[in-house]
Amino acid sequence: MSDDDALWWAKVRSGGPQRVTPDSAYPAGMTRLVEPDARAVWLLPDLPDNARPDVLEELGLSGFPVDQRGDTARVLASCLRCCWSEPSGPIWPGTSASLDDVAASFRAITDTRDDRARHAALLGAVRRLAASGWVGFDEEQRTVRLGPRVAAWNAAELSTLRELWRSMP
Amino acid sequence: MEENCRRSGLHARLDNPPAGDGILSRMTGGHEPTLDQLAGDAAVVRLYRQVFAVLARESGAMIADVDLLDVDEAILDAFADAGRDGLTVEQAVAACRPFDPQLVGRRFEVLREYGAISKVVDRPNERFHRAAFAPYVMLLFLRRMAERGGQAELHQLLTLEHVNVQATDATAAVGRTSVNRLTRIFRHLGNELAILAAGSTAEQLGEHAQLLWGNKSLITQAEEVHAVVLDRWPELDGECATLRIALAAYGDAVESAAGRLIEQAGTTRALGLLPVESWLSFARGSSTESLAAVLDGFVFDAPAPWFSPHQLTEAVEDGRHTGPVRQPPPRPESATAEPDPQPVPADDREQLHDLAERLLADARSVTVTGVLDGTDDWMAGRRMLADLTAIHHHPDLPYALAWSDGLRVDDAGSPSWVSAGTFTRVSEDEDEDER
Repeated sequence: MSDDDALWWAKVRSGGPQRVTPDSAYPAGMTRLVEPDARAVWLLPDLPDNARPDVLEELGLSGFPVDQRGDTARVLASCLRCCWSEPSGPIWPGTSASLDDVAASFRAITDTRDDRARHAALLGAVRRLAASGWVGFDEEQRTVRLGPRVAAWNAAELSTLRELWRSMP
Repeated sequence: MEENCRRSGLHARLDNPPAGDGILSRMTGGHEPTLDQLAGDAAVVRLYRQVFAVLARESGAMIADVDLLDVDEAILDAFADAGRDGLTVEQAVAACRPFDPQLVGRRFEVLREYGAISKVVDRPNERFHRAAFAPYVMLLFLRRMAERGGQAELHQLLTLEHVNVQATDATAAVGRTSVNRLTRIFRHLGNELAILAAGSTAEQLGEHAQLLWGNKSLITQAEEVHAVVLDRWPELDGECATLRIALAAYGDAVESAAGRLIEQAGTTRALGLLPVESWLSFARGSSTESLAAVLDGFVFDAPAPWFSPHQLTEAVEDGRHTGPVRQPPPRPESATAEPDPQPVPADDREQLHDLAERLLADARSVTVTGVLDGTDDWMAGRRMLADLTAIHHHPDLPYALAWSDGLRVDDAGSPSWVSAGTFTRVSEDEDEDER
């Protein structure tokens, strides 16, 4: 691995997927994810199967702690439901969806909560997910789209997600 | 300062240290310092000794105690105060009164021998002496070096060398001298440090840490001089190579010494290379940028959460089933509910006893038929029968229910048939007591 590649890996490791201009250098072992408007490219590390984050789960180790993990996961599922317009195709880049749509989907899978609590949970989860690159969240436009990290799911996982997508209202 | 020294010729003599290592055999007047004295002043004396060794060899006197230097300084101070007439030996001794007159006299001789003090007019019976200013300047210079470790002076020296070799009228000889001087300086530094790093304790090493500080810029400065020299006089490549080797040796010594210190600091978490106040003042007095610069070159691992599809599915499933998660409102500490009393088995002894007494109404026994006649319908009668059976079976109640063979049949009555039976008080005494 050259120094340049090592630097890129260090950057990804400390800062998550890197957003670069489309004409920039392309380090080895990274997936290039072109933004829908082709103005930028995300660099996502291409990890071998036995080095992915879900290995922790297989080993029975606790992963990175997330606040309100259940709600966050549900909101991510709602975002997937709203933004993955073609579940038969690739997940990236998806389309953008309004926060209201996501909220409606979230309400459908968490029906017994009062509106204020649900909204707070939704907003908190969306911001958390946006911070870690799972979704992109435009606070002013109130639109949500998928983040570069979703492209890290492999084919087997995507098929599970397709099941989930179909099962969700 | 160096200029002055050089002009006086002292510096030039320093540039040519003695070839042999047996520097001195004779101490000043047999003044032998004890080990304790030496230990206390070692840091100061070490530097003085190094520099004065040459002078001492020639004059037959050696600085073995920091007090002797104070005497020297006092003598030179006295000359400064004396004005243009100069001083006689007696006057100088008088001016340095707090010091032992013999000691002052001896040092006076030493100073005169190496030319720091000379006769006003060079004739046999001249009594007045004058002092050269260069030794005094050098003394101050040494004093400062002893206090601050000489690092700043080394920087100044390097800057001066740089200027020297860059001067338009500089010759190859100047360059050679410069490079040789630097080589020697860095060899000395490197040797001292390497010996310390190899053989001394971490504490000792920490005391000499000033040799470690700022070494990067020292080496850089030396390399600049080296570059200039090599550029101007390519024929000096031999000397330059020696300098490079000395620099590399010094760098290696710094590395190994710093490695040992860091190893020590790593195990004890001692950031004791600098006093605590230095850390504090750095933290308080620095801008955000310089504070942030401390972490330049560090990469922090920032792991992001990972959501597997399995987790997503599970969460969605859970979300459909779980009700609203309500936090209980906060309650004051004192209002916590009392713990539940120990559960006790329900006992209807009192009610049963009352019922039995009411049915018997002072009689010793009543018939079941009579009791059931007193009830309104079959439901009430059934309850009454159940109560009677319960009273009969209660271990604490002294009543008994006995069935006999008779059977009363009444077509129109509510219980259309009733077995004959009696409800009897068993123990008269206990019953009396309870009443």
